[in-house]
Amino acid sequence: MAYQWDFSPVLANAPLLVEGLVNTLRITGTALAFGVALGLGLALLRLSPRRFLSWPAGFVIEVFRTTPPLVQLFWFFFALPILVGIEMTPFVAGAVTFSIQSASFFAEVFRAGIQSIERGQWDGARALGMRHDQAMRRIILPQAVKRMIPAFMERAIELMKTTTLIATISYADLLFAANEVSQKTFRPLETYTVVALIYFVVIFLASQVARLVELRLARSGESTVH
Amino acid sequence: MRWDFASVFDNTDALLVGAAGTLRIFAICLVLGLSLGLIVGLGRYSRNRWLHIPATIFVEFFRNTPVLVQILWFYFALPILLPFQISPLAAASLGISLNSAAFSAEIYRGGIQSIETGQWDGARALGMRWGQAMRRIILPQALKRMLPALTNRAIEIFKMSTLASAVAYVELLQQGKLIASLNYNPIEAYTAVAVIFFVFLWPLVQFSYFLERRLRRDE
Repeated sequence: MAYQWDFSPVLANAPLLVEGLVNTLRITGTALAFGVALGLGLALLRLSPRRFLSWPAGFVIEVFRTTPPLVQLFWFFFALPILVGIEMTPFVAGAVTFSIQSASFFAEVFRAGIQSIERGQWDGARALGMRHDQAMRRIILPQAVKRMIPAFMERAIELMKTTTLIATISYADLLFAANEVSQKTFRPLETYTVVALIYFVVIFLASQVARLVELRLARSGESTVH
Repeated sequence: MRWDFASVFDNTDALLVGAAGTLRIFAICLVLGLSLGLIVGLGRYSRNRWLHIPATIFVEFFRNTPVLVQILWFYFALPILLPFQISPLAAASLGISLNSAAFSAEIYRGGIQSIETGQWDGARALGMRWGQAMRRIILPQALKRMLPALTNRAIEIFKMSTLASAVAYVELLQQGKLIASLNYNPIEAYTAVAVIFFVFLWPLVQFSYFLERRLRRDE
């Protein structure tokens, strides 16, 4: 007996899925903004010659790169609120987890980018009388950032895929909406297939943009770091 | 707030069962993912259109969808097309293995492409066929270059294994949830689970750093 595919119940629930997609983009955007800023901070601390700055930064980066993001999410959602006595919504827990988690990966991208800049640039800046932070801000970072863009976009795409974990703590992202629609319509096959395709289209487009940007940077003679 | 890990230690048995579950799914996905990845990678490398196009579609699809979506698809959607049920272990293994195959395929392809054409010419001059040259000359050299990236893949697989808890497969995180709900000690339970994962993965991560340094030095 062949299964009769029927997508109409799923299409009837399109508004739920659209809302889910918007929420997925919301959590991705939030975590990306905080993750990049925090990642730069962590990278600068880790590169600091002072041990009491570089060690804690290194510790945070290693812990968050080495443990599974789902464990981190559960910790921030179930354990942290009791520890500090605050209410934690699924969105806040997800935003905190994915910000720090992606920051530890962004930090390594920043670090590789900063270290890829030739020593001569530092020497030149110093010869012009710049202090360390001035040289970093005016000379090193602007050059490094351009080289980091491809690795950056790759991490951003990884981040978007990671945000699906937030469905496990009942935040209404696209995956959570899929769960809801499939239970409502008794059409798990069609629902999950449609949702997988939505993710594919969004992430595939983002990957293609990343590839184009990388090609352009490669043509303009900028090497890339990963 | 006082930390009290006694309630976690009382449940060491449950954590051991979870650790065994985590190691089991890790081993399955590592073997399936990396071997299937080699096949798909060879397909991606091939100039034969009938191999190249399906391999490319496979890689693009599984790289560009979240692995949790894949696992839930295999668990909730696929059984409808099949005459039998799919266990949590099977669904999670399928999702993680296929995802890892897609990522490792690109590692294999990159590694094989990085070998100079002279090696192929030399192998051919010695009378080797394509398969022989690949097996005896190209892959052994390429594997050395791929080792750091493949180790990173293994680390990713270990971390991804926690997603199996979403379909109630008994692994470490799932057992952590159980302990937390039985003893009302989420702080200790989830901290213990996080520490266990860190202890498992930290040596692996250090090993991958060591491999990367050695490769940089050798080349």
